[in-house]
Order: sequence, then C-alpha cells, then structure tokens
Amino acid sequence: MTQTSTKPDAATGADAAAQPWSPRIVAFVCNWCTYAGADLAGTSRLQYAPNVRIIKLPCTGRIDPLFILKAFEQGADAVLVSGCHPGDCHYTAGNYHARRRWGLFRRLMEFTGIDAKRLFFSWVSAAEGQKFADLINAVTDEVRQAGPFDPTNPARKRPWT
Amino acid sequence: MDLAKLRQDAAALLADGRAGLVIGFRERAGACVPAFVTDADQADALVYDDTCIANLAAYLRKPEIRQRRPVALVARPHVMRSLILLKAEHQLQGDDVLVLAVGDDTYHGVLTLAEAERLLNETYADLATDAQVLAEIERLEQMSPEERARFWSEQFAKCTRCYACRAACPMCYCERCIVEKNVPQWISTAAAGHGNYAWNVIRAFHLAGRCIECGACEAACPQGIPLMLLNALLAREARDQFDARPGYDAEAEPVVGSWNKDDDEGFIR
Amino acid sequence: MKILDASKLSDLADTLAGAGYRVVVPVQDGDRVRYAEWSPGATIRTDAFPVNSAKDFLFPRSEVIDRYQLDGDDFTPLEVRPPAPRTVLLAVRPCDAASLAMLDTIFNWDYEDDLYNARRAATTVVPLVCTRADAQCFCTSVGGAPDSSAGADALLHPADGGSRLILEPLTDKGKALVEAAGGALADGKAAPDAPADVPARFDPDKVRAWLADNFEADLWDLLSYACLGCGACAYACPTCHCFDMQDEATRTESVRLRNWDSCGFALFTKHAGGHNPRPDQAARWRNRVMHKFSYIPERFDLVGCTGCGRCARLCPAGMAMLEACTRIEEEARKAPAHES
Ligand code: SF4
Ligand code: SF4
Ligand code: SF4
Ligand code: FES
Repeated sequence: MTQTSTKPDAATGADAAAQPWSPRIVAFVCNWCTYAGADLAGTSRLQYAPNVRIIKLPCTGRIDPLFILKAFEQGADAVLVSGCHPGDCHYTAGNYHARRRWGLFRRLMEFTGIDAKRLFFSWVSAAEGQKFADLINAVTDEVRQAGPFDPTNPARKRPWT
Repeated sequence: MDLAKLRQDAAALLADGRAGLVIGFRERAGACVPAFVTDADQADALVYDDTCIANLAAYLRKPEIRQRRPVALVARPHVMRSLILLKAEHQLQGDDVLVLAVGDDTYHGVLTLAEAERLLNETYADLATDAQVLAEIERLEQMSPEERARFWSEQFAKCTRCYACRAACPMCYCERCIVEKNVPQWISTAAAGHGNYAWNVIRAFHLAGRCIECGACEAACPQGIPLMLLNALLAREARDQFDARPGYDAEAEPVVGSWNKDDDEGFIR
Repeated sequence: MKILDASKLSDLADTLAGAGYRVVVPVQDGDRVRYAEWSPGATIRTDAFPVNSAKDFLFPRSEVIDRYQLDGDDFTPLEVRPPAPRTVLLAVRPCDAASLAMLDTIFNWDYEDDLYNARRAATTVVPLVCTRADAQCFCTSVGGAPDSSAGADALLHPADGGSRLILEPLTDKGKALVEAAGGALADGKAAPDAPADVPARFDPDKVRAWLADNFEADLWDLLSYACLGCGACAYACPTCHCFDMQDEATRTESVRLRNWDSCGFALFTKHAGGHNPRPDQAARWRNRVMHKFSYIPERFDLVGCTGCGRCARLCPAGMAMLEACTRIEEEARKAPAHES
C-alpha cells in the first residue's frame, strides 16, 4: 500500500518530523474508466496535486472494503474510490454492486470513528481527464483542511510493542 | 405458553421419525442452555422462556447436526427469520428443518419453513430494532468522529478474538472466515489495535443486509462488546437505503449482491 | 494479625500502586467484572466472577516475541524484551492462584519460556478466600478449595461477617507486600469467616480412568452437540495455554506474534493439505477434556482444570466442564473400567 512512499516508516508516520505534513491519499480505481481518465489527465499534461497514490483494479466491483481499511491502517489520510459511470461498467454491473456496498460501508466507517470527510467516491470516465485533475485537487484540498489522520484512531496500525 | 404441547410435539416428531433431532432448550442450574433431544422420552426436559436467546439456527452448519436431518428447532420469530434467510441464501432446503414455533407467549405448533414464512409475514412482520440499541446508536451519532473513535477503541480493546460472536451467528457459515485467510493476511491476528478494529468492522459488514437482529452475537461475546450497535446500524441503513427485510422472503435476492438502477448516489462525485 | 476494613480494599490497591506495584484487581467494566490494572476511581468487585483469568497478566493474549527490520536485502533482528513490571494479583480467586502451578510447569517443561518466567518472577499472588460459590464452582472436585493457599504468596481472608479482611503473608514475596502495604493495614484481631461450601461433585481419578478406555466412545457426540467451536472457554480458562505463532510483515518490518489459540477451533489441527485429524467438534471437545483430565495428569501429576467454572459461565452454547465430568463419572459407574 505504501509503494510510492520514499521513507521506510511511511506506515507509522515516523517521517512526519522530517517534512511538513502533506496529505497521503490512496485511490482505488477501475482499470477501464478512472485509470484511463487519470492517464488522459497525464498525457494532456494537466496539473494536479501529487498526493494521490493510485491503485488500479479491474473494476469497482473488485474493490473490497478491506482495501479501504488496509489503506487507513497503513497510513492513508484519506481514501478515494472511483470507477465508471453507471451504465458504463465494462462488466455491466460491477459499479452498481459497488455503489450499494459503499452506501453501507461508509456509514459503518463514520459510525466507528472514521470521519466521512476522509472517504471519497466518484465516477470518472476515460474521457474525463479534466474531471480527474479537478477531483484530485479538490480532494487534496479537503484532506489538507481535515488534517492528518489521527494516529490513535483504532483503524490505524500503531508501532508494535 | 403451552410448554406441554411443545414437549408433546417434539416427542411425536422423534417417535414417528419426522425429525432425527430436536434442538430446543433445557434448564441447567437456573440458566437456559441448548438441548439436543434424540429420543422421544427425553422431550420432557425441554423448557422455554424469554431468557432462551441463543439462535439455534447456528447449529445447522455443523455437519454432525446436518447428518440428522430433518432437524426440528425451537424458534422464536427472529430465529425463523434466520431460517428463511438461510433458505434464501441456499444454505437450507425447505424440508431440512421443521420449526417448533414460539413467540409472544404463544406456542404456534410444528411448522414447515413455508408455514413459518407465512406466520412471520402475518404475525411478526414488524420486528423492530431494540429501542435501547437504537437510542444508543443515536447517542453515538451525536458525538464527534473523534469521540466515536475513542468509544470503539475502548470497546474493541476488550476483544480477545475468541470468535464466539461468529460462532453464535447462524449467518456466519463460511467454511473459512476472511479473518483466517493469511495469503495475504488482511486482518492482523493480534488481539489488539488495528486487527481488532478490522475484525469487528468486517464481521459486521459481512452481515450487512443479512443480520436479522437476533442478538445472539452480542449475547455470546464474553467481553460484553456492544456488537448490536454495529449490526443494527447496518440493518437500519440497509432498510432505509435498500428496503432490506432479510428473513421475510425465502426467494429474496441478497441486499448486498443485488442492485437497483435508482440506488442512492448522492455521495458520489 | 494484619487486617483492614473490607471497604478499604481500594485503599490497599492505591497504596500498593503507590509503592510501585502494578496492581491487578477484579473491577467493574461496563456490565462485566474483569481483572484489570487498578486505576484510582475504579470499583473493585469481589462478589462476581471475572470474565478473564489471572493468566492474562502472565501470558497475554497476543505478544510480540521476535522482531526484524528490513531495508531492501538488509535484515536486522531487533531485541524483544517486554517489560515485566512488579505485579500483584490482588483479590484474585484461589482457583486462579492454583492455575499458576499448571502454567509454571507448562512454560518450563521442555523449553524455558523467558517471557513468561520474567513476568512470573515479578508477580506476587494474593488470592481472596471465597465465602460464596455458585453452581458452576467445583474446585473441591479437582483438588482445590475455596480457602486454598496453593500458588499464593499471601492470602486474604474475609472476616467478621465480611466487614474485615485478614492479610496473611505466606512467602517472602508476601511479606514484602505486607511491608509495602504499610499503613493500609492495621494490627488487630478478626475472626475469619467460614469458606464457601463447595461440595465435591466428581472424582477426577475416575474420570481419568474412564478416559483411558474411551477415546472412541459414542458419548463424545452427545457431549459435544452444543459446542459451536469458538474460543470463549479456552480464552477464559486459567490453565489453557495453547498459542499460535503468526508472522506479520510490511516492507520494512516483521514481527512474530504469539497469540492465544484454542483446540476448539476447527483450524487448530487442520493440515495444509486439507486433512483434519480432529474432523468434528466431538473430536475437538474430547481433546479439551482429555487434555485436562488425562494427558496433563499423566505427564505432570496435576489436574489440568482448577474447577473455576468460567468455561461454563461464558460458553454461549451452555457447554460445561463440570457437567461433562459428572456425566463421564456416571458412565464410568455404569461400565467400570478394566483393572489393569
Ligand atoms: S450478526 Fe448477531 S444479531 Fe445478526 S444474525 Fe448474526 S448473531 Fe444474530
Ligand atoms: S465474541 Fe467478543 S471477544 Fe470474542 S471475537 Fe467476538 S467481539 Fe471479540
Ligand atoms: S476447564 Fe473450565 S472449569 Fe476448568 S479451569 Fe478451565 S475454565 Fe475453569
Ligand atoms: S469496469 Fe469500471 S466500474 Fe466496472
């Protein structure tokens, strides 16, 4: 989960003292739409915040809630989940299934103490490079407002004792 | 409640071979514990009162119990819902189980699953979430996320990972639970911190839209962790967002696992 | 004679904490009573049975036993030395104190467990004599007693109709504790109350004899129908000591964990290839009984159960060691074991 971080102790935030804090956001995206949208943003040379680590999956239907937990556990300040617009899923209904799961899971997250401000969901198509760039900028701004994820939150892994 | 009739029915089911096993309750040292009756002449040991809260449908996952099918179960309305839901999830055939139906101080007699489904819909169609549980959920919802995190942090810290909650739940029938999968290891095995958080959250989530709110998990937890808050929250959301009524329709599709074009997406950008 | 007011037990806890002890006492926690580290303001409850056992403080449910740092191909073992604070197990049950004989033996059997031994050496055990027992208590059937001093460094006796406590030191550790308690104890006289009446319910030797001949008995099926295969009994049991080792690693760090495990779980004996030599709950529950009443007595001349009754109080399915043993003894009476 922390493959793009440069410091060994990314998970425990031990590098926090070294540099000023900047949001660490994990994005789980589907291969066919949002990832392609991100690609388009890149090839179009659109500028967007460098705070998102993208993890590509075949479809939003493959995004298990455990992934979200794992991201918060291992050091994410926020999680973004994104895929094809309704009707556009390359496996017909993966995103419809995912939408239901998210509708329930985000409530459970909020209820157990993960602020809804740290969980983002979006539809970004392959043609929406601009939407992707805008989204990442907006999400990064909002997470910056929210501040670092509380290291004492029960979802976060703490150093072993 | 006509306990004599329940005992008589249980004995008759065993005597004439309509059931290979009757699972009910007996009294032991002032407490109500599950009873497994194989002979008609032991049926007089059966008792029932509202302290008998174990969900006996959980036993249907044990191979040694299944071997004795058809099994007759003493079941209150919540337990009947478990049975209907197990059937909807293809874990039971209609003739695997007979129900010795109890509810609201009444003994309803021996029912097939289809008859239990009818009884539920006619007489027990509105089994509401426990008012105290709802009030506690609302109290927590008033808190800040930080306060809620602290609340759950204290609760989950007690968890020893004994998995009694899972064992007591009739809907936790996976042959190998996600918490025991270690390639890769999704949920830390240490009975502490993030592992306990992930375990309790995922246990509840795997029951989203499936929990019939019998309360057996919370009653089973030796540590007194208020698991029903998690289950009831998800039951409420499944009901409000997707009209979920698990356990009332043996033909129903699972709530998570089906979808509707018009499902809410106000939270999606 | 050292005495204190029964209502002043929390003052004693305070004083000992002030003297540098980690004080473990039964306290109210939500709707449960559990052994926990004393903190001022907590309510001590000696009248209800705690849901955990004293073993939690000597053999914690999860602990790191090994640790490495990884940096690319560089691998650095890190030292693991968990703290072993000076601890007093205060007002625990005599059956908890008795269980330490079992744990001491097992953790020094063929391997000397430094982590356990360090904590054990730093622990002073001060049980409180039981003046009340419940229907699940059966210490007297397994060689214990409500006023047993087995495993104790000092003993607390209720006295004068429950209004006072007598603290009687038995070992050097116990004497050191009395000294540390200082002014929290007074010199005086009090009349000890009668211990609880716990009738013996079965004879463990008879149970053992039956077990020797009845590995394959049909009774096991009947006895274990109710068992749901969780770990509630083993985790509450003061003598259960099985653990599982798990490695948990990230790219930069790896720990080896020792977690409690239970023979009640189907996975406990499941082989990688899929075969399970204990294929059903009857085989697993038989192991629980066999281990406590046959294998341990055979190996160590101890009974592996202290009769605390926790397993029965906490089992969500109503399984009970006492009931199983009385049932087995009944069976033994029906068909006496062969003389050998
Ligand atoms: S989660 Fe708990 S309340 Fe829901 S069905 Fe399972 S045991 Fe019953
Ligand atoms: S029953 Fe309670 S202590 Fe056991 S695993 Fe479930 S939540 Fe944890
Ligand atoms: S087997 Fe049961 S009664 Fe015996 S020591 Fe363990 S928890 Fe106590
Ligand atoms: S392929 Fe993009 S959501 Fe299914």
